[in-house]
Amino acid sequence: MDFLYSYIVFAEIYVLLGLSTNLLVGIVGIFSVSQAAVFGVGAYVVAHFLMASTPLSFIPSLVIAAACCVALNILVTLPSLRVSGDYFVVTSFGIQLLATAVFTNWATGTGGANGLPGIPPPDVFGLSIETTQQYMLLCTVGAGLGCLCFYLIMRAPFGRLLRAIREDETAVAAAGKNVLRAKVSAAALAGAFAGTAGGFYATFLSFIDPSSFDLDASILLLTMVVVGGARTLAGSIVGPFLLLALPQLLTLVDIPTTIAAAARQLIYGVLLILFMLFRPQGLAGEKL
Amino acid sequence: MTAYLQVAGLDHRFGGLRALQDCSFTIEQGRITCLVGPNGAGKTTIFNVITGFLHPDEGTVAFLGQKLDGLRPQAIVHAGIARTFQNLRLFTDLSALDNVMIAIKSQPGEEPIGAIFRPLHTARAQTRRRQEALATLDHVGLADRAQDLVRNLSYGEQKLLTVARVLATGAELLLLDEPASGLSAGALDAIMALLRRLQTEGKTLLVVEHNTRVVQQIADDVLFLHQGHLMAHGTPEKIISDPALAEIYFGGAL
Amino acid sequence: MLALQLLATGLVTGCALGVVAISFSLVYATTKIFHVAHAGIYTLGGYLAWSLVVRGAPLVIAVVVPIAACTALGALIQVGLYAKLEQRRATHLVVLIASLGTLAVIQNIVAAVYTPNILQFPIPWSSRVVSFGPVRLTYTQLLTIVVSLAAYVGTMWFAHRTILGKRIRAVASNPMLADITRLQPHTVYIYVIAIASALVCLPGILVPLDLGLQPYNGVTPLLTATIAMIAGGVGSITGAFVLSVAIAVVQNLSLLVMPGEWSIGVTFFIFVIFMLFRPTGLFSAAR
Repeated sequence: MDFLYSYIVFAEIYVLLGLSTNLLVGIVGIFSVSQAAVFGVGAYVVAHFLMASTPLSFIPSLVIAAACCVALNILVTLPSLRVSGDYFVVTSFGIQLLATAVFTNWATGTGGANGLPGIPPPDVFGLSIETTQQYMLLCTVGAGLGCLCFYLIMRAPFGRLLRAIREDETAVAAAGKNVLRAKVSAAALAGAFAGTAGGFYATFLSFIDPSSFDLDASILLLTMVVVGGARTLAGSIVGPFLLLALPQLLTLVDIPTTIAAAARQLIYGVLLILFMLFRPQGLAGEKL
Repeated sequence: MTAYLQVAGLDHRFGGLRALQDCSFTIEQGRITCLVGPNGAGKTTIFNVITGFLHPDEGTVAFLGQKLDGLRPQAIVHAGIARTFQNLRLFTDLSALDNVMIAIKSQPGEEPIGAIFRPLHTARAQTRRRQEALATLDHVGLADRAQDLVRNLSYGEQKLLTVARVLATGAELLLLDEPASGLSAGALDAIMALLRRLQTEGKTLLVVEHNTRVVQQIADDVLFLHQGHLMAHGTPEKIISDPALAEIYFGGAL
Repeated sequence: MLALQLLATGLVTGCALGVVAISFSLVYATTKIFHVAHAGIYTLGGYLAWSLVVRGAPLVIAVVVPIAACTALGALIQVGLYAKLEQRRATHLVVLIASLGTLAVIQNIVAAVYTPNILQFPIPWSSRVVSFGPVRLTYTQLLTIVVSLAAYVGTMWFAHRTILGKRIRAVASNPMLADITRLQPHTVYIYVIAIASALVCLPGILVPLDLGLQPYNGVTPLLTATIAMIAGGVGSITGAFVLSVAIAVVQNLSLLVMPGEWSIGVTFFIFVIFMLFRPTGLFSAAR
């Protein structure tokens, strides 16, 4: 039963990440391979404040982490989006590789390649969350709030503005709206989601290392949005739940452990190609 | 007396092509001015310059005495000038109503914080804006097509929608790029009636138009553009009956 | 002197990177596709060469066969993926994602077949050292410089002197006009990606000859190469090559003041500077 709860927790954390990636890639249409980097920043920041000499409790740490990730995304998107979409591709790759370098080499801050063990379980309003079952409830609340925010945004004029920007930026500017500001706001919001997900991840696993936040992880996030479906709430939920079940299915097939990771990533790559060719709207989304 | 809209000394090259050549003219408030000329004369280029989509190599544009140089397109809309596009540029996957609502100024909920933390306020404001948008659609005769997706509208209806969209911005000077082209007779009459109605409501219109009948029926003034330069201006009768201009317009090389 | 040595190895790396940049630039300037799968072709070339060398094939075969394979793979990606996506009016984003998926597939097939561990070429002469005063370079490093410069010269000659080269430049500068004037852009795209894939196979073999093979080692060089391409001005072959050398030299010299793990930071910093102050690059629109 614990195993099922774990799966649900991970799926819900990745739902938050799916919402984040969907906002950036699906709705605004920015190609991002740096989602995992932002996820990692959130995780390390929360871990830092929970384990500091004067520790903060969980929710304030989450808020700080989300704020850091918002700032990071704004910093990254603002200059590059002003120039062109392809510049952002380079920036995104650069951020991801740079983040991995920082996570791996800044040993004092992040524990380096060996990672950061001993992250305490979260304490929420005085209650300490100890069991997997309790964590699942916490995570469900978190993911639920995330979905609610996403729903509210897409229903509001902001959501309509983003959809219009995807279709025709020039026409949006001609209608008197600031396209750049809308895109950067969406990116900032995506950062908040990813940072929060990072906090949940860090406290659930109680150990984080750079390998969870590398380019391969970003590719997994893209695959979730592509398979689940772009631009919809449903797609952001279906994708993570499906793709996190994949490694379990793979254990049924006899694959030597040395190439297990490569096999998974290979499947993600194949899924990306197949869906782009034959079903760009994913299972429950709108056409990318 | 400062002119309503003043275009002075515009010059612009695209690579080797000189699109605008010392182009200058003024527009008076409350009038319908038609911009005519053969293809390649620079009409859309002028629109792009006035509305901030193109920064000219030389020259200035001033609106109500305020210089528009270097302003971004959305700032110029806020200053009171809005345009349509020759190729419409409607949001085809959105409804007619949504197309209009996007253009409405200053709505709560247009950025994430308001949308998330003040959902009720946003929803209430949206209901009000929706009424406004429906009124605008009604004004152009599209009230019954409000919920339909743009891809499902006829070409004539789409053209009316482009006018609705600029109306929604609240701009007082409307730049319309070939609003009547490609329309059937009935749709043509509807658009012309709409443009005249807008004039009586206080809007000023600058209209690029190829159709001489339309120009005759709606224009107060005509500006004849050729090779990026203002060749002639005057009443529709004067311009249309000028044989030299007709030669350029119909017979001359591009 | 350490600085001179770093300068020299920087030149070596820069030359190899230059060929990556030129080949990527060919594809990007012509098809407008940000062909990230290029990094996969780069990686594959080296591994195929290694497989042949390890089985005792003569060196010529070990170079020609991978080049042919890479060329074919590049053409296949264009015909089987990019062209099909364009037919379906796919957005730029869709093509990017498909290209990324292709990269993931190539890299991970290589990792699965050859394991993720580093492999070395069993070629003894490749690490023989030649001294130029205080600077020491291996045969491989010298070969890299020579081959890369030859590739640069060859590409310049091709672009400016051959009919196909001019056709490519015409399509790159105005695809719509090219379509109307029967230059057949889509056939040109296939040629371009085939040539680019053949070109990138060269550093794909030479760099691992020097440093060893690793399945995921294609991304960082590609990123640096694209930065060089942008900084040099998209469409400028010379710009891409020169900036590649410049960036590699700066990166290497930075080792005098900071540890090697941060060199990606140096490269990225250069990119940010260009993006903020000179987004069109140094040699823009010149070819």
